[in-house]
Amino acid sequence: MPLDYRRFNGPDDSVSYKRFTDNYLKSYDELYEELIDKNSRRKDGRKLDEARSMCMFFARTDLISQAKGSAYIELKKTKVVCSVFDPREIPHQNEFSQLGQLYCEVKFAPFSCVRQRRPHAPDAEERALSVALRQALEPAVCRHLFPNYQVDVFVYILEHDGACLAAAINAAGLALANASVPMYDIITACSLAIIGEKVFVDPTEAEEHLAIMSPDTEGTNHGIITMSMMSELKQVSDFMQIGSMDVQCVTKVMEILEKECETIVPNIQKVLVLNVVQCFNQRKQLEAEAKEREAALNAKMEEWKKILNAG
Amino acid sequence: MGMEKNVSKDFKLKPMKCELNFLSKSDGSTILSQGDTVAVVSVNGPLDIKSTSQSIEKSTLEVLYCTKGGKPSVADRYKENVIRQTCETAILGSLYPRTGITVTIQELEDYGGLLSCCLNCTCLALLNSGVSMRCVYAAVTCAVDESGDIVLEPPKHQLQTARAVMTFVYDSREKSLVTSFTEGMFSEDTYKEALARCHAASDLIFSFYRDIVSKYANVI
Amino acid sequence: MAEIYKLIHPLKYFTDYISREVRPDGRKFDEQRNIKLNVNSLKTAEASAVVKCGNTTVVCGIQLELATPKAEEPDLGYLVTNLELPALCSPKYRPGPPSDHAQVTNYLVSDIITNSKCINLKDLCIVPDKLAWVLYCDIVCLDNDGSLVDACIIALMASLKTLCLPSVTYDNDTEDIKVNADIRTPLKVHGLPVATSFAVYKLPDRNILLTDPSAYEEEMCGGIGANFIVCSNEGLLCGTQKFGGSNLLSDSQEESLKISRDRTNVVKKVIETSIKNDNEFVS
Repeated sequence: MPLDYRRFNGPDDSVSYKRFTDNYLKSYDELYEELIDKNSRRKDGRKLDEARSMCMFFARTDLISQAKGSAYIELKKTKVVCSVFDPREIPHQNEFSQLGQLYCEVKFAPFSCVRQRRPHAPDAEERALSVALRQALEPAVCRHLFPNYQVDVFVYILEHDGACLAAAINAAGLALANASVPMYDIITACSLAIIGEKVFVDPTEAEEHLAIMSPDTEGTNHGIITMSMMSELKQVSDFMQIGSMDVQCVTKVMEILEKECETIVPNIQKVLVLNVVQCFNQRKQLEAEAKEREAALNAKMEEWKKILNAG
Repeated sequence: MGMEKNVSKDFKLKPMKCELNFLSKSDGSTILSQGDTVAVVSVNGPLDIKSTSQSIEKSTLEVLYCTKGGKPSVADRYKENVIRQTCETAILGSLYPRTGITVTIQELEDYGGLLSCCLNCTCLALLNSGVSMRCVYAAVTCAVDESGDIVLEPPKHQLQTARAVMTFVYDSREKSLVTSFTEGMFSEDTYKEALARCHAASDLIFSFYRDIVSKYANVI
Repeated sequence: MAEIYKLIHPLKYFTDYISREVRPDGRKFDEQRNIKLNVNSLKTAEASAVVKCGNTTVVCGIQLELATPKAEEPDLGYLVTNLELPALCSPKYRPGPPSDHAQVTNYLVSDIITNSKCINLKDLCIVPDKLAWVLYCDIVCLDNDGSLVDACIIALMASLKTLCLPSVTYDNDTEDIKVNADIRTPLKVHGLPVATSFAVYKLPDRNILLTDPSAYEEEMCGGIGANFIVCSNEGLLCGTQKFGGSNLLSDSQEESLKISRDRTNVVKKVIETSIKNDNEFVS
């Protein structure tokens, strides 16, 4: 890897200290044992089909003052920030494009992952996520309303504990709405991990890690599926699958995903409505203050007029 | 056409030697040595630049700093920024809107105080190029040695053992501080004393500028 | 109405405020924005802190790695600080490799940390010439609304102060390394450098010093980033940097030194309180 002249670099041979701890090397089976306890509960106490969105979902807008619209989503440990900027002319383009474009970029913080330090330069995973995010958002945005312009959507993942693409899509949808970019519907996404017969809804990082790792026995289902939906229109905008599984399995989990995506919608709606109400109240207050000032000014004018008339 | 002038009156500044029009192809160029530290600067401009970096209010200043090794680093960007911001306050950029002025600096020898040598050299090169300027400026480096005394323009071995190194840039009109940057730790009193000492020493550099320019005016 | 005025006469709009002794966001000239700090909020990093100074938001995370020390300095560890200014923090930045401004700010932050000598690199060495800690301190700006260096230093110091190093045993014969992550010792941090940013604005008759400037004020004072940064550490100065903007007279320097002295106490209290709160929360 060439040396990065634009940053400070550490020594070449540094390795994470976790490599030398006792529980670094564990076999697949050991890890698998750890995921679920006897009562078929997961490590964080959830049931297999229970998403974090029910209890540990936290979202807000207006986090970034410099951006047109922004959103922050927290799914227990997974923390994602997204900001959307004003439309600008598409750079380096000669032809006129009928539809506006979305420029999406997903970036992991260097300290976001447990297993390794993320490089500063974009790696393959970040690029793949950026493309997936763009594909998921494009059908939801009314792109014909801003021809020849592009809207920048930047997602920054502060902490990665699974389902980060789903969180990124949710955050980006919220931020786009916050930036008042016209959209057809609220866009939500959910992901699940499949390990053998078991289906983990809204997986954590450990579960995702295991789902991608292929077990020795061939033919077992394993992988991660992320699906984003516009629930009102009943349309799927993006479907991303990693790993291998049979067709029955995919059709079965699609139903689960659809249901999960729908359950997130009220959460997003709540944040958006709250936002509008807040804006409205603020405006009312400002108007009231302006009226007060005007009244004070008028009273003073009257006073001066009186003094003038009196000579 | 080399000009020599030894400026060491009350303060001990390193002997400065300077030659203007050192490079034949650029609009203005200077080689300056302060003691053993040497730098060459060439100035080109105002010239046409690509429309994305043009500014409608003033000329865009571009500073390129080349080290002896040639490898770029974050520290070089910092030096470029220091020099660019200093030049920007000195140049009357609003006279040349939508143009660019390029300043290229090549380090030749570093025996301490390189950045202040580069700054002074840049100022002379700008004078030589004929770009309109609001004022000239002078950079002075001083060090705080182990016993807490202030040494003006320290030699290299003193820099390595010094507690702190400070560089101040003063302008010629109001004699006020344009740029400053420091290394190491020091107390407020030391800081004020160093400011005053460098302030006084900057006069010597200004008189050196005056001599150089008047001598070259005769030659040309 | 005011927004349109600001767009058409940007300079006059700003001068109108300043000449009436008030800043556009309602602060006084020497008034600073509120500081909010939260430590250890990220679990993937060894130590972390989130700082909000007004709107400016900065996240710092530290990761630990092991490496062999440099051959020329066998008893020193590594402290690698990097400031990331991603495109999402301000419309001024474009995605891609760091811009010149990002590199300059990055240099300033790591320069202040090295100059203040708050971390003795010898403490990071485990076995001379064989094994040493590498502290990767990554600072990410989520929202850049001016006085970036101040916020970065607070975030970095708060996370360094909460950092605990796991115990390491190194076998000299077999070169075998064993790390026990459960036994941890806190890292020694000497002093507390605090940076204070100022913007210098030129009125016809005098120069005004604006403490803790916002991004808009920094832009109006001609320059990317603050014009003047004073960094003090336990009564000593560990760096004064001034670039661009208007010139600085000696009486405004006196004022800036005093303000930075006062700010040191505020920041110290903020960091202590939030670390205490975090400890109580854990126990």
